[in-house]
Amino acid sequence: MITRRRFLRTGALTATAVPFAMRPFLASAQPRATKVLDFQTGADVAKAEQEGEVVYYGHDGEAGIAVLLDAFKKDFPKIKTSYVRLQTGALYAKITAERSAGRFGVDVLQLSDISPAVDFQKKGGWEQYPSPEYAAYKPEYQSTPAGYYGVPGVSFAGISYHRAKVKPEQAPKTWKDIVNPAFKDGISAKLATSGMQHAQWYILRKMYGNDFWQEFAKLRPKGFDARAQLFDRLAKGEDRICALAEYAGYTLYQEKGAEIEFVAPPEGMPAIAIYIGVVNKAPHPQAARLFVDWAMSRRGQQIYQNQKILLYGSVRPDVGPMPTGKKLSDFKLLFPTDWNDYVASHATFVKEWNALMGL
Amino acid sequence: MARAASVARVSIEVRDLVVRYGSVLAVRGVTFTVGAGEHLTLLGPSGCGKTTTLRAIAGLERPTSGEIRIGGSPVFASSPSVNVPAERRGLSMVFQSYAIWPHMTVFDNVAYGLRVRRRPEAEVKARVSEALDLVQLGDLGARSASRLSGGQQQRVALARAFVFSPSVLLFDEPLSNLDAKLRAEMRVELKELQRRLDITSVYVTHDLEEALAISDRIVVMRDGAIEQVGTPLEIYDRPRNTFVADFVGSANLIRGRRRPDLERDGLVVIETSGGALVHGAASDLPAGPEALMAVRTVRLRLERTRPATAVNAWPARIRQRVFQGDFTQYHVDWEGRQLIVRSAAPEPMAEGDEVFVSAEPRHCVLLEE
Amino acid sequence: MGGSGRPPSPPGVRHAPGDPGRSSISRISRARSWWPGPRLVSLVVGGGAAVLVLYPIAYLIQASLSVGDPQARPPEAYGLDNFAGLPRYAHIFGNTLLVAGVATILAVVVGFAMGWILSRTNVPGRAAFEQLMAMPYYVTPLMGALAWALIGSASSGFVNQLWRALGGSGHLIDINTPGGIAWVMALFEGSVAFVMIGAVMKSMDPAMEEASQVLGAGRLRTMLRITLPLVLPGVLGAAVFVFAEMLGSFSAALVLGLPARFYVVTTAMYQLVSQYPPRFPTAAAMGVSLFALMFAMVWIYRRIIRSGTYVTITGKAFRPRVMDVGPLRWPLLALCVVYLGVAVVLPVLTIAYASFQRLTTVFPRADNFTWANYQTALSLDAVRSALANSLILGFATASIGVVLMGFLSWLIYRSRLPGAGAIEYLLMFPQAVPRLVFAFGMLWAWLVFPIPIYGTLWLLLIAYLTVFLPLGIRTISGVILQIDRSLEESAQMCGATWGYRLRTVTMPLLKPGLVAAWLLLFIASVRELGASILLMGPKAKVITPAIVESWFSTSSELTAALALLQTLAVAVALAVLFAVARRAVQAGGE
Repeated sequence: MITRRRFLRTGALTATAVPFAMRPFLASAQPRATKVLDFQTGADVAKAEQEGEVVYYGHDGEAGIAVLLDAFKKDFPKIKTSYVRLQTGALYAKITAERSAGRFGVDVLQLSDISPAVDFQKKGGWEQYPSPEYAAYKPEYQSTPAGYYGVPGVSFAGISYHRAKVKPEQAPKTWKDIVNPAFKDGISAKLATSGMQHAQWYILRKMYGNDFWQEFAKLRPKGFDARAQLFDRLAKGEDRICALAEYAGYTLYQEKGAEIEFVAPPEGMPAIAIYIGVVNKAPHPQAARLFVDWAMSRRGQQIYQNQKILLYGSVRPDVGPMPTGKKLSDFKLLFPTDWNDYVASHATFVKEWNALMGL
Repeated sequence: MARAASVARVSIEVRDLVVRYGSVLAVRGVTFTVGAGEHLTLLGPSGCGKTTTLRAIAGLERPTSGEIRIGGSPVFASSPSVNVPAERRGLSMVFQSYAIWPHMTVFDNVAYGLRVRRRPEAEVKARVSEALDLVQLGDLGARSASRLSGGQQQRVALARAFVFSPSVLLFDEPLSNLDAKLRAEMRVELKELQRRLDITSVYVTHDLEEALAISDRIVVMRDGAIEQVGTPLEIYDRPRNTFVADFVGSANLIRGRRRPDLERDGLVVIETSGGALVHGAASDLPAGPEALMAVRTVRLRLERTRPATAVNAWPARIRQRVFQGDFTQYHVDWEGRQLIVRSAAPEPMAEGDEVFVSAEPRHCVLLEE
Repeated sequence: MGGSGRPPSPPGVRHAPGDPGRSSISRISRARSWWPGPRLVSLVVGGGAAVLVLYPIAYLIQASLSVGDPQARPPEAYGLDNFAGLPRYAHIFGNTLLVAGVATILAVVVGFAMGWILSRTNVPGRAAFEQLMAMPYYVTPLMGALAWALIGSASSGFVNQLWRALGGSGHLIDINTPGGIAWVMALFEGSVAFVMIGAVMKSMDPAMEEASQVLGAGRLRTMLRITLPLVLPGVLGAAVFVFAEMLGSFSAALVLGLPARFYVVTTAMYQLVSQYPPRFPTAAAMGVSLFALMFAMVWIYRRIIRSGTYVTITGKAFRPRVMDVGPLRWPLLALCVVYLGVAVVLPVLTIAYASFQRLTTVFPRADNFTWANYQTALSLDAVRSALANSLILGFATASIGVVLMGFLSWLIYRSRLPGAGAIEYLLMFPQAVPRLVFAFGMLWAWLVFPIPIYGTLWLLLIAYLTVFLPLGIRTISGVILQIDRSLEESAQMCGATWGYRLRTVTMPLLKPGLVAAWLLLFIASVRELGASILLMGPKAKVITPAIVESWFSTSSELTAALALLQTLAVAVALAVLFAVARRAVQAGGE
């Protein structure tokens, strides 16, 4: 079994290979930690409130980001929030394009794929800011060296299908079932812009061989941008089965009364961590630090985990279970083993997955 | 409203004017002068270049080469290059379509030129009402210009054109959009207006009667070139060539052999193929073997008995009679061809009658060929 | 009349500038006016507009030629590799041509039918219908696509639900097919075809049809053998123009095509630049190809227009003879009603219906109705600020655009200054470039621009002004050309300088046209998607891309609520503006 620990450790080793020259000079002294509300922050809160604004680039759905930022605003009413929401691939493309043209307008960046996170570190995009809240996290949930980014949550995905549209004998039980020809023209997944999709592609490929996804391609799957869309269609019966059904999405729609089932295959469920960090040359540096501290604190983690629309499993040990009553350890999660290989596979993934999706 | 003596009337000189549109030569080297205070008409069929010439003088067309002077100063010259924009030439123009602005009242239309010149409002009011009175639209000042009849629009266009006392007035076929009766009336009014305003004017028309009525001199044009310049009477009575003879009133063209040996008292003589002798007015045209003579249809007389004159009286027979109201047109067989005679005589001749056709020599004109 | 009622002006008096009065001509011709000459202003404005158009296109072409590291800026190396790699996407180009072709045919058929019915027959209520024919334009293609997605989705679409309830099996229609996309495109982007063909119909001399009928031909025969051939060039021109527009269509393909794995060039480009790593050069190469194709189409269209044998809108308005179609009136009336129902009423009702439900279905249970969608919508940053931004931007674009494009129209069609023809050609460029492609070039181009307008509303404003140049100029110049030249010339002869003329004669006469252009620009900018979706920034969100984002990342019910809010806001704004405009037109006089 591939553990989170091993995955992140290999990631850490590779990250240290970053050429020193590429990193801009950073303040390496540990900032003074002060207490604000119920968490520690290395930011100058007064100055942050003077800056008055934080610009957040994230990959969650609009409603999810709204919940997150509203919670922050409630705690810090003097700091306005604004955001850009795009799927991770698009988001990263946008911020790199902006930065390569000399535009630095982003304070906090959150990604759902390790590849761009590490790439950003290579490019000197993250500021090395050792948040005092990182102390609550195990080293494998931090960047290497520490301080570039943290892991505010983990998401994982199984299979989900519409009860009325799938005959009981065809109901999927393992990952192998998603290439069942009976699901032709009725199966959905995410597009190549998704970090989660990259993870699933990589892991199942390793598990079942390169041909696995060729079989999948024969089913003419439909690709979408966000889990809300996947579940929307599934709930309406537009698709019969979803091959990348995030647990969080399932929970949300099941509450709405959709006739959907969730399957956690015995092989395990592909999982990704999401990454957040302060962006280098941020226009509002103190506010950015404050936000990251907040997000990584128990307070913030409760938002990430317990807000139904976000529902990321927290890796902070002192946050309670998810609203469904389960904890992350209750699920069998799969992370990529060879991290280098994983990152390097991204280009192949995009090409193959695009073709698979009809592009 | 006599013109104050201190106001200068200007002359216009056009020299070697050439206007080219792409590959088409609309005006080909035209030269003429308009004296100060003179009323000149450019007359000709459509496409002859008269409007183009007028617009070149106005500044609305840019000539290819040549020179135009107004009041002695060049407003256009090809070398050294001069081209004064239309709005600064000090001219005024009445357009064929009147070009009345529908979104203004009659008053505002007429007042436009004065307001451009920033005249005080009191002066504007006075001059505009004067102008409107002059064109007999005195009580229409407040009406919206979009609700005028054709004739009324025409008058407004006139008033607008002269209200700011321009040095020259240009007319681009201003009456051609009116019906015949209105045209005839306006013609007379225009002439009266010209007399009162007493400014230099250049008028363009294809209507012969208009030209004859209102001009001091006429320039007959065809295909971008000048055919003849002269007073209305000169043009009418002594056309220079076939075109002018035919265009300016209706004429019979008689071809014959020049007989210099028979010339007497200064009259020229030609002999038709049938042997008839036609005596014509003295002419300084060089004597060639063949000659062409023009006789106006109204200058031919029909009589039942041979007239007493010695020359230009020939027997003929009436072939056809066409009643035209103010006159009767006879087609007369003569010398193996037909002559057209227009007569206002009270008792009509009948078709088939044997008559005598006569014409005074001074009305028989030798034409250039 | 009375004696000299006005005092003569003494000879030596200097008159106001521009007043020839009675001073000598020489003094006048040398007088220097302080007002900048038309040439200078035209150079500045025309040149500025040309730069606005060419700058992004230059960057687009540069990007398409970039080989080597796709991220490098400026490009490391140049080559044609990107174009050489395009055949891989042949199926996408095929899709694009297919959908555009079908949509064009549909649009032209609808446009012709409506045009004929409303201008040549005696169907009752024609005048009212003609006004209403503009409504699909206001519904916007995106809203239409969303609505029809709700109506026609294979499984959950309303029509199909009804079908199954009535005993049918499977689905009756599937909107997520090329046919479905073409249908939506034709419905909402085809009103352009109606306007163009309708205009052609109206400018036909009815005497020709009358001659046919006098000689004994029946109505149908007359229509087929006289009317049709005469309007054919006009119809062809409209068809080519509509085809060019359809090539660049984005909304319908985005909403309806993606779920069906059906890509057209615009949506493929969008996908390519939205991924990491973004494939700018490939996308640019695709864009340039599309641009070349559309350019060819527009060139053909202009050839048809200029051919001279073509019946155009002249200053003369014929009174088209209306044919009595007898009892056929009622079916034809029904046809018009059906069209409007399908294009306007149905989509709006569907969206409204969906916005009040939790999980959309045709037969909702009582507890399925909720206000929650609106509550969420109004609490979202996307809605509040985006709506406000869109309205502000719409106002600014329309107001600045009208002045800018009014001047440019005058410059091209009336000023007779040298270079006017070149400017005209240049400014019609954006017509041949799909909005998304153009925005792509703008993105690339304005990122490096030293003035920090990237990510702000200013960039969007510039983008809108640029892409709407053809629209505005076309509308205004249509009116300018109807103003007889002599109206301006007579002002000239009264001594007015070009600025004075423009202000006192041209502009007032243009007023109805300017008002129409203002409204068109306002609507167009609020509904704009293709350019905005690439150029938005965190504080410069506008409503239409926000609705699309919502469609892709939240539920369709929430999206429906957003779409309805947008429509309401625009409708209210328009109502206010209509009232103001009507008063302005009346005050300006006839």
